[in-house]
Amino acid sequence: MAKTIGVVRFLGTNCDEDIYKAVEQVGAKAKWLWYQDSFNEAEVDGVVVPGGFSYGDYLRCGALAAKSTVMDSVEEFAKKGKPVLGICNGFQVLCERKLLPGVLLKNDSGKFIDQWSGLTPVSKDSFWSIKADVKFPIAHGEGKFFIDSENLKSISDNDQIWLKYSDNPNGSVSDIAGVLNKEKNVAGLMPHPERAMHDWMGGSDGVSLLERFL
Amino acid sequence: MDKNLEEKLKSYGLSVEEYEKAKGIVGGELTQIHWALFSSLWSEHCSYKSSKIHLKNLYNDSKKLVSEDGENAGVVDLGEGERVAFKMESHNHPSFIEPFQGAATGVGGILRDIFTMGARPIALANYLCFGEKGSDRLEQLIEGVVSGISFYGNCVGVATVTGQTEFDKSYNTNNLVNAFALGYYGKDDEITSSKVKTPGLDVVYVGAKTGKDGVHGASMASESFDEDSESKRPTIQIGDPFYEKCLIESCLEVLSKGLVESMQDMGAAGLTSSSFEMSFGGGRGLDIDLSKVPLRDSSMGPEEILLSESQERMLLVCKPENLEEIVSTFSKWGLDAVKIGTVREEKEIKLKWNNELICEIDPAKIVDGAPRYDRPYKKIEAVDVDSAQTSDYDLSTALSSTQGSSRKWIYKQYDQRVGARTQADCDSPLGIIRLPESGRELGMVLGCRPAVMRINARLGGFDSFLSPALQLQIKGFTPWAVTDCLNFGNPQKEHIMGEFVSSLEAMSEACRVYEAPIISGNVSFYNETENQNITSTPATGVVGLKESKDFKTPASVFQKTGSKILMFSCQQVIWSGYGAEVVGDKTWVNGELNPEMVKDFGDSISELVKEGKVLSSRLVSKFGISYALSKMVTSDIGFESELDGEGSEFWNEEEMYQVLLEVEEKDVNDFMKNPYFNTVLGVTESDGSLHYDNNSYTYDQINKVALEAWGDNFEGLE
Repeated sequence: MAKTIGVVRFLGTNCDEDIYKAVEQVGAKAKWLWYQDSFNEAEVDGVVVPGGFSYGDYLRCGALAAKSTVMDSVEEFAKKGKPVLGICNGFQVLCERKLLPGVLLKNDSGKFIDQWSGLTPVSKDSFWSIKADVKFPIAHGEGKFFIDSENLKSISDNDQIWLKYSDNPNGSVSDIAGVLNKEKNVAGLMPHPERAMHDWMGGSDGVSLLERFL
Repeated sequence: MDKNLEEKLKSYGLSVEEYEKAKGIVGGELTQIHWALFSSLWSEHCSYKSSKIHLKNLYNDSKKLVSEDGENAGVVDLGEGERVAFKMESHNHPSFIEPFQGAATGVGGILRDIFTMGARPIALANYLCFGEKGSDRLEQLIEGVVSGISFYGNCVGVATVTGQTEFDKSYNTNNLVNAFALGYYGKDDEITSSKVKTPGLDVVYVGAKTGKDGVHGASMASESFDEDSESKRPTIQIGDPFYEKCLIESCLEVLSKGLVESMQDMGAAGLTSSSFEMSFGGGRGLDIDLSKVPLRDSSMGPEEILLSESQERMLLVCKPENLEEIVSTFSKWGLDAVKIGTVREEKEIKLKWNNELICEIDPAKIVDGAPRYDRPYKKIEAVDVDSAQTSDYDLSTALSSTQGSSRKWIYKQYDQRVGARTQADCDSPLGIIRLPESGRELGMVLGCRPAVMRINARLGGFDSFLSPALQLQIKGFTPWAVTDCLNFGNPQKEHIMGEFVSSLEAMSEACRVYEAPIISGNVSFYNETENQNITSTPATGVVGLKESKDFKTPASVFQKTGSKILMFSCQQVIWSGYGAEVVGDKTWVNGELNPEMVKDFGDSISELVKEGKVLSSRLVSKFGISYALSKMVTSDIGFESELDGEGSEFWNEEEMYQVLLEVEEKDVNDFMKNPYFNTVLGVTESDGSLHYDNNSYTYDQINKVALEAWGDNFEGLE
């Protein structure tokens, strides 16, 4: 049976339709998860927290969304070891919720950056591990991953560094584009795999990443 | 004249004659509310009083156009049940006073024009003109405008897929910010009207609360700047893209549930123009209690409420039984929806304040009774100056000039892919998105080359449409429909009105030849500061459809080594071009454009493209063939000229029009049979460098010069 993937929607989320289409493209069934509602872990097999500007990035990117009802359910779901993926603003939300290590800061350039970026996988043996280099678009103003050196060593030792930029576009510590939680079931990345689903988009490497859910 | 009256006329932007006319309409002295209504509804911005008699001649008689007259934007049918609404609008005046908010709210405003008609916005574009290098506030204006567009467009989640940026001294004190938006209707989506036709319905205010921002914005945008322009800052609106995103989702949700009869955004002149236009359009009056309008500032009175241009607000009309569900839908998205009135049987609008009648007037008398001016003008005739010398400069000069440098600094700040529909982004000469249901490709190109307008307004008017049309045709797209954004100086000056009339006539004539109707538009006059008028700039947004999926859309950069680069030409006009402006030579033009012949040329190239054998294509535009080739070179595919003895004149000359096609060597003979074939320029090579006429540039050199020029030309914008 097709896996069901929950797609979280906050006020201001704007990549929700895109990831919804993308998970259906790889053969899963997508299901909306509204920010004010809780959900039962049995309802879905995986969860995506999509990109966009939840709450207009007010206060701090992802900070308000991290406190919403649906995130209580996402946290419970994650604690059961089920797969959760945060993309761009979704990555920021997961960090704010402390489901992932580190924080995302303003890009070194101080400006929003839209471009294609090459990524190299680091973590080798986990649910989210991918084998080959991939190319995804990035589109963010606050995507500089930061973590202090002590914790950097710890996530590095624990194989939690998921993806690195081949050409660090925003000043991220150690070129980090994506990380995993300690248990390796929760993943977050700044680039957008849902924007790399067909050759006509400029690349289709997003397919193999989203197929991890199946 | 009474000193007080003179002051009042100046502050409300009315002439003595208009004041007398208004008194005649209301049958006596104007009340404060009348002053507010006439000031905004009779402003140039809302009434089009200097342009209307010319706009009615624009070509739009086409079966493709499926929206009614007097709506917020035009809608065209694309077949297969798909339609798009699109429009371009200026936000020039506010963007010069406060660039960040001015540009941001320009994006917000044009998006509301689209989704108020029930279409989901899926693409944005912008046409920008700034002053010359070194001009006052230049960097602040560029930085402010670009970050304003980036802030609003990215957050609201609509991809910016193309744009154009120009520099010239005529924009030193009047920059141009024109925002284009396009919205989509699938098979099941209906076009929403703004017209109110049924009595007894509820009038509902939705969205953000009303504040004092933007009071008198429409009249501000309808006059020239003077030394006091700084003091106009309080008339600038403040935008909130997060609110707009919630407004888009909630409006489209109530529309798709069939809960709404008509809808209108509150744009220029806010509640006044939205209520008067809805009422006038449908011939029914409204009964509105202004004291029910949700306020951000409780000290506001009825006059300010009527004139406020607070952003992210809409007016909708619904059956009373649907009000509750509408309120709960908006509340789900965190927005207010408040009933502020009802639709009347009679045609008069009644405005109340705490249930007390403060004004009763037939909107037709103001809207239809607005002044119409046939401003005197002197038509611009075609010019034909004896051929002169093409300017002598090298490619580096072109690439490092403000006009020729890369625009990447700008568009890198725009989200070009949100929505996951973008096929060709701002790197490409045209934006391409995939239509959600059919998967067909839709192309968008903005037009108007001010350098051509500076030579001859008629030629420039033709080119405003023909250049983008050819950009579409050389990719196999059919130019489908057009929007315009007409930026001009003071219409009370004969030569400016002459350029307006002549460029518009030419543009319309070209659109008629292509059967591409002009479906929407906007006029911005008074782009003038202390007698300095801008270059007349009739910008266009041309949308094209690729009807067939049987061939691959040609790329815009070289695809293969060993392929041949062929040049095709319709040889109608040779002119001094951007090159002469950059090196400071005298400008000249030789020849005239014939839109029918250009269309034949475009059709002929399009037929070649549809055979599927064109690997890449490019329209030769500013700085001639050498510049076009420099844009096609990639890090591993270069170009080697096969021509001998053609001097720099050949490589730098600017013509209307030339096209470059990359084709495989085996197909060259077929392509040479085309009547517009001119010459084989050369062959693509594996070294990633450009070689022609003793010139050699590596891909890295070209890019470095074009990218670094930005930081060199604009201090602090590296």
